[in-house]
Amino acid sequence: MPMRDMSEALSPAGALPMLILRVLQSEPLHGYVIAQRIHLLSSEVLAVEEGLLYPTLQKMLRKGWVEAEWGISETNRKVRFYRLTLQGRVQLKHELSSYGRITQAIQEVLRTA
Amino acid sequence: MREFFRRFYFLIHRRRLNAELENEMEFHREMAARTGQNNFGNTLRLREQAYEAWGWTWLDRLVQDLRFAVRILLRAPGFTLMAISVLAIGVGVNIAAFCLFDMTALTPLPVPEADRIVRLERRSATSYTSEMAYPSFLFYREHAKTLSAAIAVLGVPPMQINDDLQLTSASFATPNYFTELGARAAYGRMLDPASDASPGAAPAVVLSYGLWERRFGREPAVVGRAIHLNGKPVTVVGVAPFAFATLGGQHPDVWLPIALQPYFIEHSTVLQDWDQSSVRMWGRLAPGVSAKAAEQELRALTDQLRRQHPAAVWDGEYLQSSPGGHLQVMQPEMYRVVAMVGVLTLLILIVSCANVGGLMLARAVTRQHEIGIRIAIGAGRGRIFRQLCTESLVLGSMGSIAGLSLATAVLKIVLTKVDAPGWLTATPDWRVLLFTVGITAIATFCFGLLPALQIARQRQQKTTARQIIVGAQIAASSVLLIVASLLVRATQHALYTNPGFGYQQLASIDPQLGRHGYTPAQARTYLDQMQSRLRAIPGVLDVSLVKLPPLGHTVTSSSTEIHGRKVTIYPNWVAPDFFRTMQIPLRTGRTFYPNEKHAVIVGESFSRQQWPGENPLGQTVGDGVNQDGVNQDTVIGVVGDAHINALNDDDALEQYWAAQQDDMPNMVAIVRSKGESSSLAPAVKALSASLDPSVLPEIRQLKMLYRDRVAQIETIAGIVSLVGVVAVVLAASGLIGLVAFVVTQRTKEIAIRMALGARPASVLYAVLQQFRWPLLLGLAAGAGTTAFGSKLLRITLYGVNNLDPASYAAALAVLALTASISMLVPAARTLRLNLASTLHHE
Repeated sequence: MPMRDMSEALSPAGALPMLILRVLQSEPLHGYVIAQRIHLLSSEVLAVEEGLLYPTLQKMLRKGWVEAEWGISETNRKVRFYRLTLQGRVQLKHELSSYGRITQAIQEVLRTA
Repeated sequence: MREFFRRFYFLIHRRRLNAELENEMEFHREMAARTGQNNFGNTLRLREQAYEAWGWTWLDRLVQDLRFAVRILLRAPGFTLMAISVLAIGVGVNIAAFCLFDMTALTPLPVPEADRIVRLERRSATSYTSEMAYPSFLFYREHAKTLSAAIAVLGVPPMQINDDLQLTSASFATPNYFTELGARAAYGRMLDPASDASPGAAPAVVLSYGLWERRFGREPAVVGRAIHLNGKPVTVVGVAPFAFATLGGQHPDVWLPIALQPYFIEHSTVLQDWDQSSVRMWGRLAPGVSAKAAEQELRALTDQLRRQHPAAVWDGEYLQSSPGGHLQVMQPEMYRVVAMVGVLTLLILIVSCANVGGLMLARAVTRQHEIGIRIAIGAGRGRIFRQLCTESLVLGSMGSIAGLSLATAVLKIVLTKVDAPGWLTATPDWRVLLFTVGITAIATFCFGLLPALQIARQRQQKTTARQIIVGAQIAASSVLLIVASLLVRATQHALYTNPGFGYQQLASIDPQLGRHGYTPAQARTYLDQMQSRLRAIPGVLDVSLVKLPPLGHTVTSSSTEIHGRKVTIYPNWVAPDFFRTMQIPLRTGRTFYPNEKHAVIVGESFSRQQWPGENPLGQTVGDGVNQDGVNQDTVIGVVGDAHINALNDDDALEQYWAAQQDDMPNMVAIVRSKGESSSLAPAVKALSASLDPSVLPEIRQLKMLYRDRVAQIETIAGIVSLVGVVAVVLAASGLIGLVAFVVTQRTKEIAIRMALGARPASVLYAVLQQFRWPLLLGLAAGAGTTAFGSKLLRITLYGVNNLDPASYAAALAVLALTASISMLVPAARTLRLNLASTLHHE
């Protein structure tokens, strides 16, 4: 795999779609919670800014990996929830395997070289 | 695919979705604020970025640009109107020309499966004729399996209905003509193979709609009535529909079944004669067969026919098929003319585009302020360039629509004036619309690109751009003007110069004895008697015989090579006193003895080209056109050039042979009279009636035929002159505008110069010198281009040299004068500036 394709998959910003898909795997969430959960689960290493989050969410909507629906938030406010679609699950599997391959390859070089 | 639907859904509902997104972000901000993070960022910017993810930004920008462009154009009505008018003219002329081409060559006839119809003509390496013998036609019809139908049309001289003074045009056709074209009669029935195919059938005739209107007053009762054609009774069985689509644009007033030809023309052997080429053949390709396959089969059949009837078929002859389903059957040579016309119309497009380009450049300077602000607040160069291009596009589209309307209106008028077939309409079809779009794109590119580039880059190359614009307009206008003046000269030449024979008092009398079944001996007797009686008529000066009469229906020529150059030779067979009667001067040698064999008289130009500097008398000519089978004829005389059948082609060469006994049935009498040849008609009619009442010779006045031919070229010259004048006016107005603009820009500089004591002449020079070279180069380029390309015009110029210095000089002088005045007038106005107020003003 050419290294140029890898750089996007490896950088946190490029991996954001994959992270969002993974976070949504268990249940539909709204924008704020998605960002918060990524932040917490990564032990506060990754801070997703809104300028990246919402355009990425819109792109995923366009590609059909997620779909939007209305729901009630924790604060009893009507807000948009994002839910993973079948296509999204397939995409998640695909991205996970691709990411795994790349990291394994890099680790092998680091280990043995 | 589904992604596109999602995107499309977003596009339609974007306002609502945008609001939801705003809502969502607000919520996010609240939640973040609660946990103490106040760094949400600018929601508007975020919303814009989110919006971009959907990929519709280009559409929004386009709509924005369009609205802005329309607003800006409305704000400057003078400029907009001027630009649209200029574009309308340039585009309109092109659309009109293409529409004409479309109507004649591209639009299929409104008949079923028009693309399967072909026109078949006899061709060989050296010869070409449009007609074949009827028995040959029958042979092909019987044996050709690649043709599902074969149609023959026989043209005849006008016939007389009842006792009318004026004759009506008539045509004989095989009855399947109408069934193949799917024509349904307006009243009664059309001819059909069931009723009208045999010679014994009841005589039937179909009237054209026009004739039915004019002569029979639109009475439906005329169907079923018997009328007399050339004295023979025949029943009217139907009236053709108004929008009757005929093959090849013919429009005879009556249609008759071809099997009945001998009934109307007594003793006629045309239908059995293998030697007489009289019918035009059309065919319909069998389903699934290509034209090439049909041509191949026909080739084999032609070879077979040559073995059986060698007299009817030339050496190496084959049948050439051309698509017959259009108004005009396009010969390959015609495409050259089409290309030439295309180039001329393109020239006026260049003039109008350059004109508008100049206008836009001038306007660009006034918009520098606005553009500067936009760049300052952050617009990218690309964005501004795109927006300017959109403006040009809007202007171009509006100009095109105006041009399309103009062209359609003009064509509507032309069609009604020219008495075109009823099924033709000036309404543009998809081909014309596609062409319009294409021309708009080209025009917009030409006039819009350069100024947009310049403005966006804010580079000060204004002078070069202006010079190119002026140069292009001058060059294009000069080509048009030179061509126009060449054509005008040709018209004058045709009208006032001797074409080599005295057409003023000549008439041709064609008894078509061959079609009436006369043997050569009978024909000789008839013609001798006719000639002697003609000479007895008071006012007749001279009588003679010729096989291919001047300005006649049939033109025969053969192309050959003299010293490596291709030439066209027009042969003819004449009686000995032909040259005297036609007033063609005998340069050297003598005329024929009666029936002389192996002797040939050649035209001046031929002898000069074939034997330059030598005595032509006694030389031999070995062409295949000799009827005797012997290939060598001796030159016994040289006569002046007389292009009796190729008036406009100055390069034509003539050869004459003495008429033999066998030619007699096909000879035509020519008469030179003292006064108007039209006064001879009644005497000739009485004369022929007394000789043989069943023969009605066709009498034609050469003066009228000549005038018609000249009228043709007059019309063409008129049209091209009009276009040329329009081009010059456009160029001149463009020039005036540019110079006035330049002067306005430099008012301050001029005022200072004059205040410091400069003389008017030097001020003018300073301002105008940037236009000096474009003017000269434009004139030179235009003259050069015309000289180079005008060889193609030679054939229409009636003997005027295509490099005729008088025409070139006249055109260039007119253009130079117009250009100079256009430049000096606005510039000179500034010399009357009130210096004090100008300088104060600044």
